[in-house]
Amino acid sequence: MDEASAERHLSAVPSEPAATLGELLTLAGRGSSTAFEKVYDHVAGAVYGVALRVVRDPELARDVAQEALVEVWRLAPRYRSDAGSAKAWILTIAHRRAVDAVRSEQALRERSRAHGAAVVGEAGGEPDAVVDVQYAAWAAARVRSGLAGLTSLQREALELAYYKGYTHVEVAEALGVPLGTAKARLRDGLIKLRDLWEATP
Amino acid sequence: MSESNAQVHALIGAYVVDALDADERAEFEAHLAECAACREEVASLRGVGETLASAEAVPPPAGLRADVLAQIGQTPQAVPAPASGIAQPEPRKRWAPRLVLAAASALLLVALGVVGVNAYQTHRETVAMEHDVMMVTTAPDAHSMELALGTSHVVVSESMSAVVVMGDEAPMPADGMEYQVFLMMEDGSSMPGPAFTPGADGDFMTVMSAPMDGVVGVAVTEEPMGGSPSMTGEMVALVHL
Repeated sequence: MDEASAERHLSAVPSEPAATLGELLTLAGRGSSTAFEKVYDHVAGAVYGVALRVVRDPELARDVAQEALVEVWRLAPRYRSDAGSAKAWILTIAHRRAVDAVRSEQALRERSRAHGAAVVGEAGGEPDAVVDVQYAAWAAARVRSGLAGLTSLQREALELAYYKGYTHVEVAEALGVPLGTAKARLRDGLIKLRDLWEATP
Repeated sequence: MSESNAQVHALIGAYVVDALDADERAEFEAHLAECAACREEVASLRGVGETLASAEAVPPPAGLRADVLAQIGQTPQAVPAPASGIAQPEPRKRWAPRLVLAAASALLLVALGVVGVNAYQTHRETVAMEHDVMMVTTAPDAHSMELALGTSHVVVSESMSAVVVMGDEAPMPADGMEYQVFLMMEDGSSMPGPAFTPGADGDFMTVMSAPMDGVVGVAVTEEPMGGSPSMTGEMVALVHL
């Protein structure tokens, strides 16, 4: 195995702009830090955004986003395309981190104090990843109309769970419904959103 | 579906929006490993979370990118989990070498992380090793076989004239001893290959370059440190080609 054939072989690996996020994530899972940088640029805005929405504190959200993105790197070898899209897989990791953080908010508040009064962008300089504003606005409109199409119980259950990190037990308590009802509304609410969004791509 | 199965199944929505506590999540994931229907439904509902999160996208704080990239330089990757609920790959199935390759990269990073080389060297050595391993494991004729040394595989490619031996959870050899790869030849002789010692987690990877003509097996023996020109020690594992 001479070097020339090794070069030929690697050049066949998709890594240039044409590569999809899934391909980049797969390459990152094989140890490619350059592929991971491109993954970062694709998803950092949504990762940070969902963290901020759930934990509500910019400094905590930054910590959560950083932990989530490093976790994406660590777990990338386990990404399998049959478990959903690469972006969905990454944002699941981010959302789960955010929820775990908000559930131990006490501990995080103390950590936050230790960091001092840092605010978003305090390091100066330009934001280092560009967010596709049009795409985010389109997704936001989709979410608004999707949530509007749910029953109020489905919508409230999903909002408490997804945006506030409530457990299904807490959702049931907050909404004053039996636990089985809370579980069922979370599931059928998701199914309704899935079917709606799949029908209007 | 049993009643308890149905109860676990009902947690699917709560699972997708992370509304389970840690114990319930672990329980559900154990169920998921055995329930193809649930895996399919979870995968189909993940897209909803993707849209909900994408709607929140905002520019991340300055400096986050540099911090994340610095941290991944020091973070070893996980070893790929075996595919859940799916039978072990048959030899010669094309995706098996790819799984093995991913494992190899992860193991290599772990190994390099342990010796503490700087990021530049790590990258260069990763790429260099990936060249070799990738060439072997993605060759059209690559085939992968299990090796009874921890959780290990042998990947052989005749066209690349090479064999990759790698895995994890290998027990440590006796004091003063190392493992060594030998190719078993048709005529009863053996050809010495590289000697290696597993890392702290029993992980290891080695590549041997040799014509595969007349090779009938790959053996791993315990040999004195540095390896031996011919097999002297106890045979630890053997696969027939």
